Parts: sequence; structure tokens; C-alpha cells
Amino acid sequence: MAEIRNFTLNFGPQHPAAHGVLRLILEMDGEVIQRADPHIGLLHRATEKLAEQRHYVQNLPYMDRLDYVSMMSNEHAYCLAVEKMLGIEVPERAQYIRVMFDEITRILNHLLWIGSHALDVGAMAMFLYAFREREDLMDCYEAVSGARLHAAYYRPGGVYRDLPERMPQYATRATKWHSEASLKASNQNRQGSLLDFIEDFANRFPGYVDEYETLLTDNRIWKQRTVGIGVVSPERALQMGFTGPMLRGSGVAWDLRKKQPYEVYDKLAFDIPVGSNGDSYDRYLVRIEEFRQSNRIIKQCVDWLRRNPGPVMVDDHKVAPPPRAEMKQDMEALIHHFKLVSEGISLPAGEAYAAVEHPKGEFGIYLVSDGANKPYRMKIRAPGFAHLSGFDEMVRGHMLADVVTVIGTQDIVFGEIDR
Amino acid sequence: MSDYYQNLSTRVQQSLPGRIGQCSVALGELTVEVPKAHLLEVCRVLRDEPEFACEQLIDLCGLDYSEYGNGSWSGPRYAVAYHLLSVQNNHRIRLKVFTDGEVPLVDSVVSIWSSANWYEREAFDLFGIVFEGHPDLRRILTDYGFVGHPFRKDFPISGNVEMRYDPEKGRVVYQPVSIDPRNLVPRVIRHDHRYVTPEVPAAQGDK
Amino acid sequence: MKTVMRFFKSLFLLELLQGMRVTGRYMFERKITVQYPEERAPLSPRFRGLHAQRRFPNGEERCIACKLCEVVCPALAITIESAQREDGSRRTTRYDIDLTKCIFCGFCEEACPVDAIVETNIYEYHGEQRGDLLMTKDKLLAVGDKYEQQIAADRAADAPYR
Repeated sequence: MAEIRNFTLNFGPQHPAAHGVLRLILEMDGEVIQRADPHIGLLHRATEKLAEQRHYVQNLPYMDRLDYVSMMSNEHAYCLAVEKMLGIEVPERAQYIRVMFDEITRILNHLLWIGSHALDVGAMAMFLYAFREREDLMDCYEAVSGARLHAAYYRPGGVYRDLPERMPQYATRATKWHSEASLKASNQNRQGSLLDFIEDFANRFPGYVDEYETLLTDNRIWKQRTVGIGVVSPERALQMGFTGPMLRGSGVAWDLRKKQPYEVYDKLAFDIPVGSNGDSYDRYLVRIEEFRQSNRIIKQCVDWLRRNPGPVMVDDHKVAPPPRAEMKQDMEALIHHFKLVSEGISLPAGEAYAAVEHPKGEFGIYLVSDGANKPYRMKIRAPGFAHLSGFDEMVRGHMLADVVTVIGTQDIVFGEIDR
Repeated sequence: MSDYYQNLSTRVQQSLPGRIGQCSVALGELTVEVPKAHLLEVCRVLRDEPEFACEQLIDLCGLDYSEYGNGSWSGPRYAVAYHLLSVQNNHRIRLKVFTDGEVPLVDSVVSIWSSANWYEREAFDLFGIVFEGHPDLRRILTDYGFVGHPFRKDFPISGNVEMRYDPEKGRVVYQPVSIDPRNLVPRVIRHDHRYVTPEVPAAQGDK
Repeated sequence: MKTVMRFFKSLFLLELLQGMRVTGRYMFERKITVQYPEERAPLSPRFRGLHAQRRFPNGEERCIACKLCEVVCPALAITIESAQREDGSRRTTRYDIDLTKCIFCGFCEEACPVDAIVETNIYEYHGEQRGDLLMTKDKLLAVGDKYEQQIAADRAADAPYR
């Protein structure tokens, strides 16, 4: 009898379902995975080492580029760590703005996840619908920060600018494809302020989520591809360091927003969805419910922000730069401005770990400072890193096609894993 | 919050007499220094005792203290920081193990928390800290065949070698770096932190 | 009873048909696709795109070579050299922004005390060969001169927030 040997399959790094630059060495027995060895690091940019060369504010735009589908959540963790070490309290309005944009970011992230996950598994239309909604949310990003993705909007001490009172609008001159009336209709929800636009979105969004559910939740193909795939027991999920939806899908009700509330999460009403079987389908259901809960939080934030104008940055020019008008008039403000730009803030010596409930899990920043204006050591705790390390265990014994499902359900983004 | 951690600190000290070093609470976080020899025992107690119940190893990272405070550091050069999280009791504990030597050695905690596997590989890759008992200690983030440990403080920010395609040889070649490092923001240490009250002890003192 | 219901539901492909109803409905809805480049998506006045150097209304360049932007640039994309001019004022002799390094964080604009370096809302530009994306002082000033009206309008719209 001929000798039967396992054979090795190279998956990625240029595979469309590899979500970036994942290289998997799969040891296969026929079509069954015996062992999966992810090779990562193809997107390693040494953000942590670069951070040691830059002062604290300069590091901020690098945070956007870690998990490049949930930009503001990354910034949030970094700002929390710096603020914790400085011992400053952020104005309440800034806290609400941060929470609102964290939840917008969560929706943005889950939209990309559901789109690409469904696309990997074979449902094309989801991707298009998810990107339609992402467009609106990225317009919010742009209106507030000036960039659709890499916002650099949160700053240590608050947020950079207040929410704008006007939304940018489409040009209304008729074109070959759209009549004037149609373009005016596109502008309809852009007549008021950014908050009006967000509220309009929040009112429409539950309907869209229902549509996604119609397309997927009961769909037999979707269920065949996800039910019972990549099952993780709660004990193993904890052992492997899973956090976020990966942990909640296994039935552990753990959410930093509830358990260790930061900013104003303790003042807002929302629920934590939990799965029961710990398979890909449960994680899908958990994330779908997070859409609805995030939407709920956004509505509460919009309501509060409408009623409470106020400062969005700490009024301390040793930490936050003075407003531009003041900087141009006042000598002292100008000196502060120069000092903050050229030297930055110095943090007291010590160490701190700050974590946020990132859309993917617990995103933490561990800062060690020796009193200088640059971090002595910054460690980024990326949720995806721990998830991917459990990949081997999740796919063992599954078929080759399920590898794609598991990659999708882990919601892998390489910016944060490779850092 | 801080009271809880003071209390926790006392409890940790009581359950592990003589096996841990200094415990400090700063910024609402508990840091426990653990001598290298007792690491596995301490970790096991912290995971299994119901009053600590740290089921999760959230993070593990290496540190290189050689340039700390502009060279005023006198303790061992390397450290490994473990961030533990208890889902049951809702608290976090940070463990710190110091190590030194040509090949810094620390016991691997993979047998206690599976998530340590990749984190230890990362710390090995970036700092050259060797974890004894790790099942598969390979490089993880850097390139295949990379030389050196890039996050050590004596490793230059722009690296040692650069890569380009050589049309004559028809392959990629490595050569010494040709870019000049540029640093426009000098590193300065200041002690005028207005929000920090003096009675808060520095989390990390000289040993 | 439940099993019977499930049997019929699955026999008649009910959930698939419901899904196709959603996609079918969108076939007849108003199309929201923006047909770029003839149509444009709206841009906020805070948009951070291609850089430009501005001038004062009298034609004098604004930049005073304070080098704050060079210092704050996280990607080290800006290089400045300066000298004293004959009239005694300090001006740059070289002002390069390497767009291949730039990460468009907007810190240079925030740092500039005289509003000289700005990020415009131009996002369509390209280079055909190496060096085309190295914005020299002349190129930056040319962009600034060409789009001054738009730049000034955007700054004015956003002034209350900064």
C-alpha cells in the first residue's frame, strides 16, 4: 500500500480571504486541517519602537493605523492611558463625544466585518449594503475630523474640535445619472448639524440591520457555513485570552463598558449580548445585537450633546494647546503653543495600563514613562493577536473551506496584529 | 477603587509570603514584583485561588530598562510584565519579573495560560528574552532570518540592514542602511507635573 | 407541529425568497451611487488633502520659517532650510514635503502660527515618476495661489471650532 502523507498548503499572504497579509501553513490530511500555523509580521511596522522616538501627541496618528477599521477606538485607549498618567479629567462633553464616536466606530467595524465575512462565505450583496452604511458614517468621521479613516481626532485632554453645525452637501446640479430632485433628496438629511445627521442615521439604521438579518440569519447556506464551526468553550476562550465578541459568543458576559466603565458608559443604558454555543453563528448573532445596542448608545449621546454645549478640551495649556484665536493674540498662549508643539507633554514617571472595549475585544495600551516627553516603552495589547493565536485550535479538524469562516469570525485586521 | 487594590495587595502578600517582592499600588493598579525563581508558583496561585482567580493573561510584554531615566537605572536590564485579568472578580494584577544576563531567562507560563504562547514568542523576538519550557520559541513578527532583537534599546531605530532588488544579480540583496537617522524632538525629562500629588509613590523605583 | 412548519419553510425556500425580496426591492430604489468623477461626494471644510503654502493678500509668503511643522511632523516628511533675506526678514530657502512619507494627520497645519502651511481639500493628484510627489516650495505656493479662495473659505468656515 502506498504511503499516505499529510500535505502542506500555503494559504496567503495574497489570498483575498486572508484579510490582508495572513500567511497560513496548513497541514492537511485530505481536506481536513491537522495543524494550522499562522505566520504573521508581514505588516510589522514597529509602532511601539517608533513611539519611543516621538512625543506623546505625535504618537496619536499612529494609533489610527493600528486597527485601521476602528480608528477612533485605538486613539481612545491611547488617550486614556496618557490621561491616566497625567491624572486629568476630560470635560463631560468630550467624554460624550468620545463615547458616541466609539460606538460609531463599533458600527463601522462590524459593518466591514459582516460585509467581508459574508463575502468570504459566499454572500455578495451584504458587502454592498454594509458599505452603503459605512459611507454615511465615514461622512461623520470626515465632518468632524477632516479624514474619512485616519481621524487623529481624540487628543490627550479631550477631542480636537467641537462637532460642526453644518454638514457638507452634494452639489445639486443635475448630471447624466442623477436629476436635480434626486440630488436634493440626497441632501435632505444634511440640512442640519452633524448631530441631526447622526440622529437621522440612528433612526434608519435598525431597519438596515433587519435587512441584514433577513439576508443572513435564517439563510440555509449561511447557517450551514457557520453553525458549529470554530466552537470555543468558555474555559478555553478565557485560557486563550479571547476578549470582546469572541468571548461573549462563548457565553461569558464580559464587557469593559459594563464591568470597568470608562468615560460615561456608566450613565448610558445598553445591554450586553451573549452567545451560548460559542460557534461562528453565535458570534455573528452577538455582533448583530451589538449593532442595535451601539445604535441605542448613539441616540442617547446625541440627545445629551444637543442639550449640553460646553468645552471639549481641558482648559490647561500645559496639556492641551490654546485655541487658535487666543494663540494669535496672547503672548503666553503662543509660548504654550510653541512648547506643546516642539516638546510635547511630559508624563510623570511610572506605568499605566488603560484598556477600552474595542469592537474586536480588549484593546489596551501599557505605557511606561521615566518622566520624559516620550514614552519609555509602549506596549499595544491588540485583541486580534490573542484571537489569531487561538486560530490553530479553532480550525483543527475542520475542512479547508472553514478556515475562511474562522478567519472571518475572528474579525482579523492585520494593522493591529502586526503593529 | 484604590482601596480595593490596597486590600488586594495585602491579600496577595498574605497568600504568598516570601515568594513575591515589592507590591505597589499606583494609579489604581496593582504591580507585584516576582522573583524569577517563584514565577510559576505565584502564577499558579493567582490563577487557581478563588479570591484572585486570574483566568486570563491579557498581555505579556518585554521591557528593556537600560536607558531608563537617561541611564540612571541600576537594577537588572530586562523585565517581563504580565497583565492578568480576573473575569470572576473583576480585577487586574500586573506581575513583573526582572532578568539579566547575556541570554535573559524566564520560565514560560504557557502551561498556565495558553495565550502566553504567542506573547512569549513576541517578547523573545523583540527583546531576546528566552522563555524556558516554551513549546515552540520561534520568531514571530520579524522577517525570516532576521538578525538581532529590534526592541532592545541598543538596536538603532532605522535598523542595521536594508533590502533592495539587485538587477545584476537578479535577486533581493541586503546591504547596510544608507539613511541617516533624524530626530527633531529631543528627549527631555521634566519633573513639573502639576496634577501628581507628591504622596503618590513612583511605581518603579531603583532597586 | 413545529417540525412540520420547519419542513414547509425549508421546502419552499422561504428564507431565501425573503432575502431575494430585499435585494429585488433595491433594484427599483433610487440609486445612491456617486458617479465619480462627474459627480463628487461632499467634502467637509476640515478635509485634509494636498498641502499648500499660502500668501498674505499683498503677495508676500506667509511662512516665517519657524520650523514648528518640521518638528511636529510625526513622519518626518518636512524639510526646511531658512536664511535671512535682504530686507531682513526670515524666510525659507527650502521647504519640501515628501508626500510619500506624509500621513496626512494635519499636525503641520495645527502647528503653524501664521496659517502658512494648510491642507486643502484636493485629493486628486498623482506623480508619474520618482520625485513628482516631493512638493517643493514653488509647487506648494503654486497650489496655494491657485486655490486661495477655496482655502480661505474653508478656514473661515471652521474658524469658530479651532
